[in-house]
Amino acid sequence: MGVLFTMDTTKLIKDAKARFSHNSAKAYLQEKYKSKLVIAEQGGLWNADAQTIGFLNSFSDETLVVIDTFDNPVKVDRLKLLESLTTTYTNVMTEWNSEWKELERKR
Amino acid sequence: MERTRTKEVKTRGVVLFAFNSSKYNYADMAVYTAKRVKAFLDLPTTLITDVDTYKTILDDRKVFDGVVEVEPDLTNIKDQTSWINKGRYQAYELSPYDETLVIDVDYLVNSDTLLKTFDLSDTFCCHSNTHMLMHPEAAQEKMGYTYETLWATVIMFKKSERAKQIFETLEMVQNNYEHYAGIHSFIGGVYRNDYGLTIALKIVNGHTDVPSDYIPWNLIHVGKNTSVYPNQIDVQVPCDGNVYDFNTEFTIMFDHWKKSKVRKEYMLIKDMDFHVMNKDLFVGIMNG
Repeated sequence: MGVLFTMDTTKLIKDAKARFSHNSAKAYLQEKYKSKLVIAEQGGLWNADAQTIGFLNSFSDETLVVIDTFDNPVKVDRLKLLESLTTTYTNVMTEWNSEWKELERKR
Repeated sequence: MERTRTKEVKTRGVVLFAFNSSKYNYADMAVYTAKRVKAFLDLPTTLITDVDTYKTILDDRKVFDGVVEVEPDLTNIKDQTSWINKGRYQAYELSPYDETLVIDVDYLVNSDTLLKTFDLSDTFCCHSNTHMLMHPEAAQEKMGYTYETLWATVIMFKKSERAKQIFETLEMVQNNYEHYAGIHSFIGGVYRNDYGLTIALKIVNGHTDVPSDYIPWNLIHVGKNTSVYPNQIDVQVPCDGNVYDFNTEFTIMFDHWKKSKVRKEYMLIKDMDFHVMNKDLFVGIMNG
């Protein structure tokens, strides 16, 4: 590699009179965090999203058969999966929110 | 008597294909990608290359866990020069790992996201959808008039009968590419691994979709009229090993053409992998 210098991107943006693209940045954030919300557990693949968490919360059974993101019916330990999904959701969304707020500051 | 049960330890690693052309030094790109693979995924890399290409990176050979030399297939001609991209089907046979990621050398590993692919399938998976940076509304690419293109940029496979069958079918498709170009109404001539893979996987699956074959997030492309500038330089950490503190933040700039006028737009990205379609751009990123 042996790189001795790099481009000053702030100057580059200024010189090019480039405009910050909020739509592209928002779409990039969605792409980036979508992959982080996917987790594999108990023989299935899950999206740590509001729908799945809400669904798991609406039952009281110890075990439950849930359709995973690959459309397979998977028997799961409900509370264990709920805890994993909730933790992933909280961590990822906190990170997403923080990066989104940074982006909004450029408005 | 005490009984113990030993758990079989699966080996994991990355396989890169690199064959230099008259225009590009793919081996240099492979060296850079292998270093990023080590830094972000902590996985060993095996390079599949030819003798002449390997000679150009002898000083960097320690970056690789192993190097496999093969006879290059020079029959793919693009822009009046050989583009050695055939032979990807050999990944199954030549990979020394039980669980393998095959990555294009112009894919910039910038996070540990790819480690998740090992959890997705017991046999095989690849990307079926793309997202174009700075061009989020871009349509998915179609292969002729039939299928949406699958992408050979990132492939995860585990040694298994099914994965073996997929790669054997890929070889068959490569050998009969013009025939399939006719069936699927795309322009043949220059062999594309993406098309080869699309056809092979569809054949193996009986022309149906198997959801677990597809990575459930998009392959991020840097496409036309788009430039990428690293925000920081990659720094070699002073120690005995070949360790780098890699830059993870990039400025993406896009030329938005409207009524013959160009307007520059930009955004910043960090900690996200992306595939650079323009090789000159990738070389620019490598060199800061």
